[in-house]
Amino acid sequence: MVSLWHTSFIVLVLLFLGGSHANPAARRHGQLDVNHKKQPLQTSRPYNIAHRGSNGEIPEETAAAYLRAIEEGADFIETDILASKDGHLICFHDVILDATTDIANRTEFAGRKRTYDVQGFKLTGWFIVDFTLRELKSLRVKQRYNFRDQQYNWKYNILTFDEFILIALHADRVVGIYPEIKNPIFINQHVKWSGGKKFEDKFVGTLLKYGYKGKYMSKDWLKKPLFIQSFAPTSLIYISNMTNAPKLLLIYDTTVPTQDTNQSYYEITSNGYLAFIRKYVIGIGPWKDTIIPPKNNHLGLATDLVARAHALNLQVHPYTFRNENSYLHFNFHQDPYAEYEYWLREIGVDALFTDFTGSLHKYLEWTAPHQNKEKKCRGPPA
Amino acid sequence: LPVRLTCVCVRACAGVVVAAALLVLGCASSGATARPLVGAAAAKQPLQTSRPYNIAHRGSNGELPEETAAAYMRAVDEGADFIEADIVATKDGHLVCFHDVTLDDTTDVADHKEFAARRRTLQVQWANVTGYFITDFTLAELKTLRVKQRWSFRDKSHDGISPIITFDEFIDIALNAKRVVGIYPEMKSPVFINQHVKWADGKKYEDKFIATLKKYGYGGKYMTKRWTERPVFIQSFAPTSLIYAADLTDSPKVFLIDDVTVRTEDTDQSYEEITSDEYLDYMREYVVGIGPWKDTVVPPTRDNTLTTPTDMVAMAHARGLQVHPYTYRNENRFLHYNFRQDPYAEYDYWLNDVGVDGLFTDFPASLRRFQDWTAAKN
Repeated sequence: MVSLWHTSFIVLVLLFLGGSHANPAARRHGQLDVNHKKQPLQTSRPYNIAHRGSNGEIPEETAAAYLRAIEEGADFIETDILASKDGHLICFHDVILDATTDIANRTEFAGRKRTYDVQGFKLTGWFIVDFTLRELKSLRVKQRYNFRDQQYNWKYNILTFDEFILIALHADRVVGIYPEIKNPIFINQHVKWSGGKKFEDKFVGTLLKYGYKGKYMSKDWLKKPLFIQSFAPTSLIYISNMTNAPKLLLIYDTTVPTQDTNQSYYEITSNGYLAFIRKYVIGIGPWKDTIIPPKNNHLGLATDLVARAHALNLQVHPYTFRNENSYLHFNFHQDPYAEYEYWLREIGVDALFTDFTGSLHKYLEWTAPHQNKEKKCRGPPA
Repeated sequence: LPVRLTCVCVRACAGVVVAAALLVLGCASSGATARPLVGAAAAKQPLQTSRPYNIAHRGSNGELPEETAAAYMRAVDEGADFIEADIVATKDGHLVCFHDVTLDDTTDVADHKEFAARRRTLQVQWANVTGYFITDFTLAELKTLRVKQRWSFRDKSHDGISPIITFDEFIDIALNAKRVVGIYPEMKSPVFINQHVKWADGKKYEDKFIATLKKYGYGGKYMTKRWTERPVFIQSFAPTSLIYAADLTDSPKVFLIDDVTVRTEDTDQSYEEITSDEYLDYMREYVVGIGPWKDTVVPPTRDNTLTTPTDMVAMAHARGLQVHPYTYRNENRFLHYNFRQDPYAEYDYWLNDVGVDGLFTDFPASLRRFQDWTAAKN
């Protein structure tokens, strides 16, 4: 059944690409000329990570959102991987379907509403782990935020991890992927796979199946760029023997302990812990307001987290950058470009997760230094 | 030739001169402050005329309370070409910078118990408005008030600090800037003002407005040497005020046009009438441009996306009239979805697709950045 989804989806993707405004010459080459070299990943400036695709414009984590992100120049397309009841890996952010699908209107599923414990909190809703892939595919996705464009609601369905990867691989330039091992504790509690495999095994298995491998900046990696992210350090450590692809430890707010090891923010951002996790990850992905805590919607004093991470040769990829003024501290005068400028030029982070990859791309292009300036060096050599 | 084409040539030449001047200054300078050229008078960096005008609408009021000295000086710092103000009159006939006829939304008047009895209801453009009317306060009384940020979603940390400024003070800010900064004052609510404020010498509001400009040496047709040294656009929604002013000064004037449902306050004419071919032909004798509400130039749908543009810009440009739409704001609630909540995408569309000649913006810094960054690419 999975291969049927594959083939039909490849056809759909190629048809969709046929209708896009991407460079027609390059596209024809990509399909016909096996020797055609794709435009490579840029590595001379911070990475533009399309957080959940171009979800500022199109419902998150849909094919359309990812294709738009690629059109708009994203370096990486990012996704959250969860699992369905029958063990398929899918792209979806929440463990419940309520906020971003039409599940509430589906009378056939009315009886499946549940309350489960998720990371120490009771949550009620329609849980993704209670639905098979076929059932999930019958749902339609909507824009999460009511202040964003609603015109694409109910048009698209949920993607599988495979479909997400195929979108990246079929782009007419090299586009990296940035999948997250999402809620692994919860998933492994509710979904069981045969052969004693668990969620992390399936996650890496999918990547290996599509040929993703190689250390950061290696030849293999540059052909198929990949970052694996997770809030759960044990998941990252677990998979370290299965793949040498670069991994990032996500760090949440200062009040939230890790879901697997129950460690506090202060512990996992201490020098000792960073030196330890440095054996397994190439960087950290913190919530931006913990790097520079705000006060009355103005930036407060910056912590030393970026300096300490960089001193240990850890990259810093903060999240999440959004254009809407309700997300912008007043220092930026409601101008998302001012926020990009501050984080990339003053704070000097190595990548940004953004809901508006098109805007970040424009910022990077318009402010690109001359070609003869030195390339920014990042991370250890291959 | 339409006036606009001629101006493009002049602007291009001026642009080359500016670029050359900046190169020379750049080579001559070292460190943070440029040394003045030996023997030359300290010539101010001139107004740029090679690209659409960046008009700081009520100053940099996205950041600071509107129409205060701080908002205007910030706008100058941020690179605005023009600073814009609404001129109304006090009870004792002084001209001040203030947008509303009532003080309620942008001052702390409600906290001043001594003025509590002055709250009343008057008719303003056929509607009843209740509040503290600026025309019921002397300048000295107004100066005891403090201005606040109008919008709840903007930075309110500068509330209660700045007073209302006079037209004179506004002009001073422009003239004291280190580079040439133009002014863009509006003859605001002239019908209401002339109803409620009388001047002893029999002069009326428009006379006082123009006299202030002349006192500071503003004059000269658009793009004359005199004008480029003291750039000014006089704007108004009231055509008779502009026509009246045309007898007093040859400074360039811009005819503001409100939404499709709003009639002119002085001549009670409809939107259709004042945007007709005949009317634009008529006004062309008195103004160099129009200032429409942007949603009438490219109307949006109820779902907040743009529909087909009207032909207003083409009609204006065909008559040599500039188009300066209002108002451009960064907050996503003001941005149609086509712009993906990106104010720079909105600037791009209006300047490069629609092709207007100036933008009234609450965020001159953002517009300046957009223009600088994309100029390099050209």
